[in-house]
Amino acid sequence: MSATLPATAHHVVSPLMGESLVDRRVLAGTETAVRKILPHLNVLQIGGLSIMDRGHSAVMPLLDEIVANQAEHTQVIGVGPGVRARHILSVGLDLGLPTGALATLSAKSSAQNAYMVSCLLASQGFVYLEAPFVVQLLPAMLAAARGAVFNGIPPYDLWEHPPALGKIPPHGSDAGSYLVGEVFGARSVILVKDVDGVYSADPKAHPEATFIPDIRADELMAMKLETLPVESVVLQLLVRSKLVKSIRVINGLKPGNLTKALAGENVGTIIRA
Amino acid sequence: MSNTVTNAVLTELGKRLVDGSLNDASIMRATADTPDFAILPWANVVKIGGQSIMDRGRVALMPVVDEIVANLQRHKMILGTGAGTRARHIYSLAIDLGLPVGVLTVLGTAVAWQNAQMLQYLLARHGIAFLEPEGFPMLSHYLMERGAVICQGMPPYKLWEQNPAIGRIPPQRTDTGCFLIAEAYGARKMIYVKDEDGLFTADPKKDKKAIFIPRISVQELLAKDLDDLVVERAVLDMMLNARQIREVQFVNGLKPGQLTAALNGESVGTIIYNAEAAPRAT
Repeated sequence: MSATLPATAHHVVSPLMGESLVDRRVLAGTETAVRKILPHLNVLQIGGLSIMDRGHSAVMPLLDEIVANQAEHTQVIGVGPGVRARHILSVGLDLGLPTGALATLSAKSSAQNAYMVSCLLASQGFVYLEAPFVVQLLPAMLAAARGAVFNGIPPYDLWEHPPALGKIPPHGSDAGSYLVGEVFGARSVILVKDVDGVYSADPKAHPEATFIPDIRADELMAMKLETLPVESVVLQLLVRSKLVKSIRVINGLKPGNLTKALAGENVGTIIRA
Repeated sequence: MSNTVTNAVLTELGKRLVDGSLNDASIMRATADTPDFAILPWANVVKIGGQSIMDRGRVALMPVVDEIVANLQRHKMILGTGAGTRARHIYSLAIDLGLPVGVLTVLGTAVAWQNAQMLQYLLARHGIAFLEPEGFPMLSHYLMERGAVICQGMPPYKLWEQNPAIGRIPPQRTDTGCFLIAEAYGARKMIYVKDEDGLFTADPKKDKKAIFIPRISVQELLAKDLDDLVVERAVLDMMLNARQIREVQFVNGLKPGQLTAALNGESVGTIIYNAEAAPRAT
């Protein structure tokens, strides 16, 4: 540091002034309670491949159940991408595009699905919010409208993290929906899929697989299962959670499951922090 | 409705992707064997520190600006800005108010944005533009026409930022945002301009006996498990997974010529490299 530059010049006084925000001792000093911004919120995630791509027969009964619960529960809905994302991922991988480009491309597929869901729920007062509007308008929209739909894939785009294994963007619509729940301090985060929950192996390939109704995220990570019905990154997010300490994975093809999950009843698999 | 896409148009990997689960580890492994295309292999990402450079004002920043201008004809530069002391103030305030990490990211992004705007005013006469994340498809055009472009360094995660392992400060800030730009575009270099000569065994501002480290592998650095670092931890974690960026360089922006030397490929400052990186594709 040059002697002509006083170290304290141009600082704003604060407890973190001049500190390294990488220093573990400084970071440990910031560990305090977090406020729940929207504690009445329930975040639902509708799977792309598991629900949306099946069309009318899977989507409409689920949306009917969402509407039936509207008076009781505030619901915001993240939607996943499905088979069109798989297709563009395969083309993008073949072309050698980086993870950040693949994330930007596949996020458009889930935006399409989210927009379709918002159209189907429009008559019930649901609105579609792009990421900047989730930041600015979600509380106002929930006061005025009766629910909201958003793109389940988080807006990481080119800034998506390179994964430990391969090149597929690690933060999909499970992660994005969970993070919306966590930041607002939601009452629940419910991932709606086409399986009953977590099994010891893929039940479609292994009929002998056993069902796991209740498990901790670190236990599930330690099992190192080859396939999971949720993105593995969500388990890491749960371990570091401040507000939303569990997620529930339910089968959206079975009528009544969502209603039970919203009522806090035991259905599907609950994964705890 | 059926889930299938006509298999005839898909690659072998494509068929597995369409049919299988994206949470299947064997499919993830298969995607590792695909080629890597570097989008802008001649671009250099240069991060201008917030607390270390911008907050010092004219005396520190103008020589860096002059050096950037002097290199405009020779090197293509994506200039990202850090946040600095105003971010520390608003992080302190927001933590005191009980606000979550995602909200802190929204707030901190505004500070990096302010710094990027100031840098843009200083470079405007040279035709240098500022791009929001949404404007990045224009990046290559501005780089080829004008030699540089300015962006704010924070990744655009907004409310979707993740909780850190310790405490409440957003773990992925401007060091990480700039690194990820370099990785996504397959950039030639990732250079961090700060107010120290590089990496030391301790914080040289606090410990006069700290020893300078000119070159170290990311594996070795992580194994040291230091309490403090010259760079955000997320950058080191991501270096292990990166497919394009194999090293990052730290130079002292208060010493004229260091940025230019780094752009010219000289081993000035500190270089942190990935000792296990595969050879880079072309």
